[in-house]
Amino acid sequence: MASLSELTSVLRSKNAGALLCTLDLMFADQVTYERVRDCGVINSERIASLYNVSQNQVSIIPYDVAYAIKITVPRLVPSGSFGDTDIYGAQQHGPLLNIEIPD
Amino acid sequence: MRKSLQMMATTGLLGYGFSEDAFRHGMGMDLDFIAADGGSMDPGPHYLGAGVPFVSRKSLKRDIGLMLEGALEKGIPMLIGSAGGSGSSPQVDLVREVVEEIAAERDYHFKMAVIKADQSKDYLHAKQRAGKIEPLGPIDEMTPETIDETHQVVAMMGVEPFQEALKAGAQVVLAGRATDASIYSAIPLMHGYDPGLVWHLSKIIECAGAVIVPKTGEGCVVGTLNSDHFLVAPCHPDSRCTRMSIAAHTLYENPSPYHLEEPEGTVVTVDSVYEQYDKRTVKVSGSRFERSNRYTVKLEGVREAGFRTVFIAGARDPGLIAIIDDYIEFCRQRVRREVAVLGIGAEEYKLAIHVYGKSGTMGSREPVKDAQPHEIGILAEVMADDEEISKAVMAKARLALLHSDFQGRKCISGNLAIPFSPSDIPVGPTYEFNMWHIMEINDPLEPFSIDLVDV
Repeated sequence: MASLSELTSVLRSKNAGALLCTLDLMFADQVTYERVRDCGVINSERIASLYNVSQNQVSIIPYDVAYAIKITVPRLVPSGSFGDTDIYGAQQHGPLLNIEIPD
Repeated sequence: MRKSLQMMATTGLLGYGFSEDAFRHGMGMDLDFIAADGGSMDPGPHYLGAGVPFVSRKSLKRDIGLMLEGALEKGIPMLIGSAGGSGSSPQVDLVREVVEEIAAERDYHFKMAVIKADQSKDYLHAKQRAGKIEPLGPIDEMTPETIDETHQVVAMMGVEPFQEALKAGAQVVLAGRATDASIYSAIPLMHGYDPGLVWHLSKIIECAGAVIVPKTGEGCVVGTLNSDHFLVAPCHPDSRCTRMSIAAHTLYENPSPYHLEEPEGTVVTVDSVYEQYDKRTVKVSGSRFERSNRYTVKLEGVREAGFRTVFIAGARDPGLIAIIDDYIEFCRQRVRREVAVLGIGAEEYKLAIHVYGKSGTMGSREPVKDAQPHEIGILAEVMADDEEISKAVMAKARLALLHSDFQGRKCISGNLAIPFSPSDIPVGPTYEFNMWHIMEINDPLEPFSIDLVDV
């Protein structure tokens, strides 16, 4: 087992517009990328529970050419609305760091 | 059609800067035009609402000054999109003022087009009634009330207003809100280059330095379009673009790296091939453009959200930190009772108390529920339609947080370390996004106005 924190070369979050938050998992090599992509752990059910959204609001897109997996979820509130804690959405990747990936 | 066409993107955001060295290397190439994106909605709704830029006037003047010098010396067009940050009228006017100031100081003369992207309420009402406006993502349907309460709204232009301005003889185009890629696609599409390649190249270079390694802030990227591929390279000889830095950029700030939406259709990168062309250059081919059967522009609008007052303090007492969630709930109730005495109802204000060290960054999405840090930061914010109410509620919240009892309290002279005097910070009127929609139009020029001026 290894965590996403150990396996990724980039693990970032950012607004995709004012309403969505997009999370990029990037890997240094194809083997690690395919291990994570194909292990079944990164699925909409898991992401929905981590980000308190419904499964149909989660988008997960593997991007082979850059060894990357893109996850998009709605923001808690639109960027800059009352109660927002992260206008740029740049620090919302934390819940992904400790996800364990089987060998 | 010419064999190849070259463009330089100086910076991902006008006013964020680029190195003069990289810029001069770029100007030494055989360029057809230079451009920069001036905007982003990332900094949030305030800038569109207040009509101010989020970069300094000094940095705008520096970046524009270099670009104007280069473009005029070479006799090539210079395009700026989303001028001033959100591309609203007051922001475009500010950038125009900077351009004219530089021109006056240096005795530059040129024809400039100023394109506005602000939308009138009458126009939006007509479109809404005709069913031509729909949400872009998780936001409410647009209603007549949405339009009536909007404070400022811009539409994102495509390539057509830029092209119209250039055909009218403008050398410098200063545009309001525009899609980032339209700034770079306008000229190549006029010359008949493949739209798939044009739009994909534009998508890649609009962030300029973001695709360069190492990240040393040089900025300035040059894109070269050919009939069946394009090349991307940094202008500075010590910098590189790698196959991975280019392929990965399509991920950035987009919900999908394979489908990138533009007013007239979708850039599809499913079959794009990325190759390392030489040590510093990446070659891309195979990108497609799928034309939509309708033309849509995105609407970005904000409404007034009230007056915000904020308050920041630290807490270091372990007894308080251990029960902070209950303590905050107690304080909220106390505030509610005490402002009621002042005649302020619970519906007249909103109070949020964020606890840094526990969940200040992620709020309710924070997965760590049992953190016991040795100190915490408390950020309280009050929002109210009336500024005096906003301040009055914050004064009571500060008092409650500082001087309420809790079980086992020993620090009875005060629970908080308050770093500033004054402690309560009114930040004035605030705004929130209420429009994030797309609007179908028949004529791509219709929502935009173009003014030609002789500078």
